[in-house]
Amino acid sequence: MTKNNESRTDEYHVASFVAYPIFEQLIEVQKAITRVDGTEIHATSAEGKIVFTIEGHSYKDIGNKMDTIRNHKGVINLSPVYHQILDESTDSENN
Amino acid sequence: MINRREFIKANAIAAAAAVAGVSVPSLASNLITSSDITKLKWDKAPCRFCGTGCSVNVGVMDGKVVATHGDIKSPVNKGLNCVKGYFLSKIMYGKDRLTQPLLRMTNGKYDKQGEFAPVSWDKAFDVMAEKAKATLNKSGPEAVGMFGSGQWTVQEGYAAVKLMKAGFRTNNIDPNARHCMASAVGGFMRTFGIDEPMGCYDDLEAADAFVLWGSNMAEMHPILWTRLTDRRLSAPHVKVAVLSTFEHRSFDLADNGMVFTPQTDLAILNFIANYIIQTDRVNKDFVNKHTNFRLGETDIGYGLRPEHPLEQVAKNNGKTAGSSTEIDFDTYAKFVSTYTAEYTAKLSGVPVHKLEALAELYADPKIKVTSFWTMGFNQHTRGVWANNLAYNIHLLTGKISTPGNSPFSLTGQPSACGTAREVGTFSHRLPADLVVTNPKHRATAEKIWNLPSGTVPAKPGYHAALQNRMLKDGKLNFYWVQCNNNMQAAANINEEAYPGYRNPENFIVVSDPYPTVTAQAADLILPTAMWVEKEGVYGNAERRTQSWYQMVEAPTGAKSDLWQLVEFSKRFKVEDVWPEELIAKKPDVRGKTLFDVLYKDASVGNFSLDEIPKDRLNHESRDFGFYIQKGLFEEYASFGRGHGHDLAPYDRYHQERGLRWPVVNGKETQWRFKEGSDPYVKPGSGWDFYGHKDGRAIIFALPYEPPAESPDDEYDLWLSTGRVLEHWHSGSMTQRVPELYKSMPDALVYMHPDDAKARNMRRGDLVKLISRRGEVQTRVETRGRNKPPIGLVYMPWFDASRLVNKVTLDATDPLSKQTDYKKCAIKIVKV
Repeated sequence: MTKNNESRTDEYHVASFVAYPIFEQLIEVQKAITRVDGTEIHATSAEGKIVFTIEGHSYKDIGNKMDTIRNHKGVINLSPVYHQILDESTDSENN
Repeated sequence: MINRREFIKANAIAAAAAVAGVSVPSLASNLITSSDITKLKWDKAPCRFCGTGCSVNVGVMDGKVVATHGDIKSPVNKGLNCVKGYFLSKIMYGKDRLTQPLLRMTNGKYDKQGEFAPVSWDKAFDVMAEKAKATLNKSGPEAVGMFGSGQWTVQEGYAAVKLMKAGFRTNNIDPNARHCMASAVGGFMRTFGIDEPMGCYDDLEAADAFVLWGSNMAEMHPILWTRLTDRRLSAPHVKVAVLSTFEHRSFDLADNGMVFTPQTDLAILNFIANYIIQTDRVNKDFVNKHTNFRLGETDIGYGLRPEHPLEQVAKNNGKTAGSSTEIDFDTYAKFVSTYTAEYTAKLSGVPVHKLEALAELYADPKIKVTSFWTMGFNQHTRGVWANNLAYNIHLLTGKISTPGNSPFSLTGQPSACGTAREVGTFSHRLPADLVVTNPKHRATAEKIWNLPSGTVPAKPGYHAALQNRMLKDGKLNFYWVQCNNNMQAAANINEEAYPGYRNPENFIVVSDPYPTVTAQAADLILPTAMWVEKEGVYGNAERRTQSWYQMVEAPTGAKSDLWQLVEFSKRFKVEDVWPEELIAKKPDVRGKTLFDVLYKDASVGNFSLDEIPKDRLNHESRDFGFYIQKGLFEEYASFGRGHGHDLAPYDRYHQERGLRWPVVNGKETQWRFKEGSDPYVKPGSGWDFYGHKDGRAIIFALPYEPPAESPDDEYDLWLSTGRVLEHWHSGSMTQRVPELYKSMPDALVYMHPDDAKARNMRRGDLVKLISRRGEVQTRVETRGRNKPPIGLVYMPWFDASRLVNKVTLDATDPLSKQTDYKKCAIKIVKV
């Protein structure tokens, strides 16, 4: 994580989440998730818990997308699970 | 590059799938656990934020924390994170992190009116020691004080208690947990005679019903909320009731959401007791065997300054406020009989059918019910009463100490339980529930500390609200604040705290990683190491003790609170602080420093550096020459072992994801007071509330009494303050995380659209909130997650640029001394 990571574009971020939708709105929530750029749903449990990832190029990017999904009226709860950053610049200034 | 991306994505998916309990078959072959590719070194630590006590895995690369994720091995969060925990790795890397002591100076010399300028640690401690000694000489130990924290590690809190209570011989040490947990402590001590919840988080998967009393778990305890949500969605019979003075996010899941008039929770609790009695559902066998009834003192005042009109008229606001007399069941039943559904509905504004549906959850013997509460109960001028009344209804029905039957007081800070309560950093306490007013308890402490009898003063010190008042009045002159942001957090800062800090007679030291509002009001700022930049132990809300190792170096110049406390103690010879007659009782301390007497030569110094794994950082120990975190922990633990507060040996905590005390014969305790799960319960008794000598818990008859201030013609609205999901408390850490700041940048005032309309205001308008004490500007929000009823507005307090505590009233619970931030009267005008 370098000082200017907010503006960097040579980072690859991946974060995974579990969303807890109101069961009756499961389909709507799934659609809302896939409408957001860089998302992918990997599994949905029998109770309706949705496992998905967001890929992006900055913390801010991931944060914005997460907020969009969290604010959906069918989402009771959204839990971030994992976040990792890859520095993909060829001559890294990483300290 | 593609492979690396695929690899970390597979890791991310696997972690989330494990949390959700689903399998993603295509992953299995891809997953590699080696850290070679990522070069990350992973280690466990409890989260830095709330009292839930989640365990997180912390990924370190090149000396910096670069990743965190929920710890799948943790029984608390089972791999989950909340949004604050998710960004944990960034709290240490704010741009304005402090790295040098800053002293107010003019022309190179300390000057209270001067500007902050960097100084060396040596110079900082020179000035500090000079000021402390001058204060001790002039006004004695009672003019020295400290304000600490439920975010201190256990070791830091213990080192501070020892330095203040034994070293400086003052009880003027209090934690910010006074603002958050003091009423809960008072409730436990009064009803059970021993602190902290009997149940545990396993109740979440066993309960048939949940009742949230003044707790917005969805935002304040998101991980526990996730577990509750999981239970509710996977077991259709489970019911959720939510009570609050305004509608918030936890209402989304509520089967029975109730908005009540502030303070009337007392009446609702008594109504439930009455309902249980009237419908003949008292668990008579349990009540006869395990409880006593007492009538509490009433009209006890509001903890304001003695000259306040409300204190002038209160009849019993003196020392008898906490007293009570024995009564029988029939007298109690008659006492609560006035709280009928109709009376309570009228008082509270909650319809009869909703009140009855709520009471039925408790009354029905087939329903296992867990009650959760936080600040709604605790920040209450009758906070101890509210806690007592909640225990009443669990005791009347015997729904206690068994899986799913749990009156559960949640905590707000990572170690409010561990450090503030168990270590006893309160002005009246010592470790393991001991108190300074009891001569036997003082003797126990002096024996463990190997100090002469009479070292620990008997008089309770200044509690949090009183500290600010005494600073203002010039009675408290040397004051050290660590690990909290009280200039933002304390009530009525306009009239008490700020004039107190800037009083020319006082020298104020603030230790913090960041230049908070409090730091900026100080005379000396000490830059502090935080979280995994040091080794420590936290204790969470379910009695779980968790440790972590230091994982990264702090920025050069920043030092942990522990290092600061112990290093500062080297500046004092025993002769500087103790009277000759005390020294004469133990002449071998002559000429020694407080560092020698309290730490190095005490049992704290018993563990050598060889016990620290070679590859581990440990700045403090390597500097002092012994394994100080272990020494402090083991000495502290000796207070509670064999007395119902047993802790495991220190080293074991490095291997575990925490253990719930009492830990007896290596085994943790899930449900206290119940035979079969708590080793302290007498065989054959079933339940044993051993905090009281007769093994019985107390059911208290306590009435509804009105709040200190209610809306009137001029100040026509209720104001409630509180927190939001994205920010933790005053925001000194989370406001520095750009993502969190962006999602909730400013504290808005949430109001009902009709209230806005009646005042000719629209969403986004700039307005002033005015009380009898001060005013604050902000903007109106009429939509969004918080929906207040007509007549009440809500404003969070995380925002340093909009200090809502300039407006709040410093009314406190006379028993717990905890401030009521949830109700005062204000008006709102357009700017």
